[in-house]
Amino acid sequence: MDFKLTEEQELIRKNMREFADKYVEPIAVEIDENSRHPAEVFKKLAEGDWMGIPIPTEYGGAGSDYLTHILAIEELSRSCASTGFTVSIHVGIACMLVLLNGTEEQKQQYLLPMAKGEKLGAFVLTEPGAGTDVMAATTTAVLDGDAYVLNGTKTFTSNGPTGDTYMVFAWTDKAAGRKGLSCFIIPRGTAGMSAGTHFRKMGLRSSQTSEMVFKDCRVPKANLLGKEGAGLVMAMAGFDHGRVGIAAQSIGIVQAALDESIRYSKERIQFGNPISKNQAISWMIADMATELSAARFLTYHAAWLKDQKLNFSKEAAMAKLFASEAAMRHTIKAVQIHGGYGYCKGAKVERLMRDAKITEIYEGTSEAQRMVISGNVLR
Amino acid sequence: MAGILVIAERKDLAWELLNIGRQLASQVATTLTAAVTGQEDNAQNHIARGADEVLLMSTLPEGQAFDAWIPVIAAEAKKADPDMILLAATARGKDFAARLAAHLGTGLCSNCIALSRGEDGTVVMERLAYGGAAVQQVSCVTRPVMATIPTRTFAPAPADHSRSGEIRKLSLPSPSPVRIVARKVKERSSQDITEAKVVVCVGRGMEKEEDIHIARQLADLVRGEIGCTRPISEELHWLPDDLCIGLSGVQVKPDLYIGLGVSGQIQHVTGIRGARVICAVNKDENAPIFQAADLGIVGDLYDVTPKLIEELQKATRR
Amino acid sequence: MLNIVACFKWVIDEAYIRKGASGALDFSAVDYKISDYDRNAIEEAARLKGLHGGSVTVLTANAPEASKGVKDALSRGADQAFFAGDPTFNQLESSQTASILGEIIRSRIPYDLIICGEGSSDQYAQQVGPRLAENLGIPCISYVQKLTIGEDGRIVAERRVEEGVEVVEAPLPVLVTVLPEINIPRIPGVKDTLMASKKPVVAIKKEDLPPVGAALLQTLGMTATRMERNCEKFAATPEGIAGFVEALQKRGLIS
Repeated sequence: MDFKLTEEQELIRKNMREFADKYVEPIAVEIDENSRHPAEVFKKLAEGDWMGIPIPTEYGGAGSDYLTHILAIEELSRSCASTGFTVSIHVGIACMLVLLNGTEEQKQQYLLPMAKGEKLGAFVLTEPGAGTDVMAATTTAVLDGDAYVLNGTKTFTSNGPTGDTYMVFAWTDKAAGRKGLSCFIIPRGTAGMSAGTHFRKMGLRSSQTSEMVFKDCRVPKANLLGKEGAGLVMAMAGFDHGRVGIAAQSIGIVQAALDESIRYSKERIQFGNPISKNQAISWMIADMATELSAARFLTYHAAWLKDQKLNFSKEAAMAKLFASEAAMRHTIKAVQIHGGYGYCKGAKVERLMRDAKITEIYEGTSEAQRMVISGNVLR
Repeated sequence: MAGILVIAERKDLAWELLNIGRQLASQVATTLTAAVTGQEDNAQNHIARGADEVLLMSTLPEGQAFDAWIPVIAAEAKKADPDMILLAATARGKDFAARLAAHLGTGLCSNCIALSRGEDGTVVMERLAYGGAAVQQVSCVTRPVMATIPTRTFAPAPADHSRSGEIRKLSLPSPSPVRIVARKVKERSSQDITEAKVVVCVGRGMEKEEDIHIARQLADLVRGEIGCTRPISEELHWLPDDLCIGLSGVQVKPDLYIGLGVSGQIQHVTGIRGARVICAVNKDENAPIFQAADLGIVGDLYDVTPKLIEELQKATRR
Repeated sequence: MLNIVACFKWVIDEAYIRKGASGALDFSAVDYKISDYDRNAIEEAARLKGLHGGSVTVLTANAPEASKGVKDALSRGADQAFFAGDPTFNQLESSQTASILGEIIRSRIPYDLIICGEGSSDQYAQQVGPRLAENLGIPCISYVQKLTIGEDGRIVAERRVEEGVEVVEAPLPVLVTVLPEINIPRIPGVKDTLMASKKPVVAIKKEDLPPVGAALLQTLGMTATRMERNCEKFAATPEGIAGFVEALQKRGLIS
């Protein structure tokens, strides 16, 4: 058993820490406040090969492993959970979907520019009436000559307004049930596909989220990803990868909450002593540090399983469930430790708390994770 | 011969070194020698300020730098075998000292901020380490003991014109392959901040270059000079390097230091430690500068500074 | 074509040093880094190689754990590394470091230009560069903020001195120590780090070197600096600011 990261992984983590401190931390408050997508940061992320860490070099990536990608997401999220998430869904879901299911042509045409960071990927599955219940989706894709014609409305699409390469799920055969959903790669600018304006969210505000509307959107047959009807299986596998990323994002949030809480509690004097001397505070911090470690081990383990080419579906769900709930629990505590100051705009813990909530919701709610886990253990 | 040798490229530096040199020499009743650049008419001044012997390093041919003297001084030191050699911790002094130490095969305490002689005669020297987070005490196991001392650590030695001493002119060194082809004397936007009684320091909390006028306005009012943290001069180039305060910049010792939007990184704080009163304006209540400060205002410098100026105007008018 | 050697030290990142209750320094949770200004040295070597061609060799004498630092250095544009790793090389004093580096360079690395940082982030003794130059018997130009290499192969350096800048010129080979102003060190990308592991590292054992002399300076003690002042904080309100000005007046700082 070996708990040690490689020297390369440690260095890459350190470099991302420095990157985030230099380019992300200083603008994190502003991009949250203005709900702004920091294109300048993504340009720099692309230059440093951060947008495709686990993707092989022949497809434009850095050719590293999934754990290394996870470490980068964690460090990036420590400064800004929105930026961390945008990279996570781009790599963990959009890139991975094409890598695992695409033809050589699709990989060259779509994966390569995504992994290089020239194009941003998006995952288009959720619909107004179909969240956890994917089967309730209504968007259809009907074969018409050499193209599929898509119609329907998607929502909560992350990277919707800013994306370049969309992984869109639609029914090719609704009657076939679980074997009737298909996935299409649709580049930005395709006629009939439009993104709405981005939603005003509680947290994760610089991540751009919108509706996606498909109106007689013609997609060439060549853009079908995998086989017709394989969409659901691909989506679930995509979630497995994405969830480890969300777990990493959550760890980054908890780490930031812990850092802020330690710093503040040691400096804040009440009744003549730093509040860290109060057991009520120090035990909150102890729990925070403990659950952070637990979340980290779950997450790294899930990524390690993936790198060993072992099944990691259950572990991904466990990591995501535990890490995201820890993020919510402990950012609330972190605000409590900061008192009134923590409730004000500009306090990092205030943003962390708002950002944490979404980790329990997207890429499968906590309830959905429990369904996956219980389904696995009760089998 | 034993004794203490001070080496300086300017007379003011020589006088500061002669001050501590004299103190140490008197403790063990040894001689004090000063190797100083300049002409014979200056040499008498060095004797007045404590030197028993002056080794004159006369003007070098055009294009030669101070470090050309290293082999000459090394030969002198090997001959005279002093107990101790002191130089100023200026760029030239530090470079000279390290290379001289290599010639002599001895240890060197760089940026020595205090030195004293223990009961057993060991010289204990103090210096800062880890970016100023730690004070390190060292002693040297070889002869001579060498140290470079930051400028203004000691006051110039007082002059006593009744003193007498030897003056010897050193023969010119053979030319160094390193040639000075140009000198750019820096344009000082203000007077030397190391001498200023009041320093207003601009930190990264300042958002735009043109906003520096806010700090200047405050500095003018309190008759102070402007300084800055490293990012302001090094990364943003809003102010010249000679105004950068910190471990690797200048160290200031004003009566009053006011930091505007200065976060208080250890490397910077080390450069202001000598200030009598340290004040800080920062919107982050937890900024480390407040730990190093005597007085602080928690607030945005853009909001606070104009109000502070107004209040100071009222107070000084009274 | 230039053979450039950049020397570096793998040091404790001072941001992780904590202060123990008794004033002792607590190193229990420290991380390590390439000494700040040595990053500038490596960056400058890589920059000059980019302009003039040639090779960049990075060199360190350190504890064996610095193998990570060697990879870090290699990820910053160097072609190869020489690494003298030994547990006794952990806390070397400047004179020792300079003599080990000098021995390795003299016997194993062809060079035209040697670049060092002006001082290390931990000790900041600012001696290794100048001592190394004397050791090798080559000219030393320290505190350099700008470096160019002319058509004639001579080096032109702007060195910062107290009253301004001295522009000096020297024939190669030469050693320079660089100031942080000289460049902005890169943050290595993921591929840079991965490729670093594939670059050649020449490991040098202590036994392969002449015996290292004793430290010339002995550290007698190391204590945390006391910086704390009892900060009296005022709010950014009219009353707060008035109180602040009053406090300045009480201390006789404004009249």
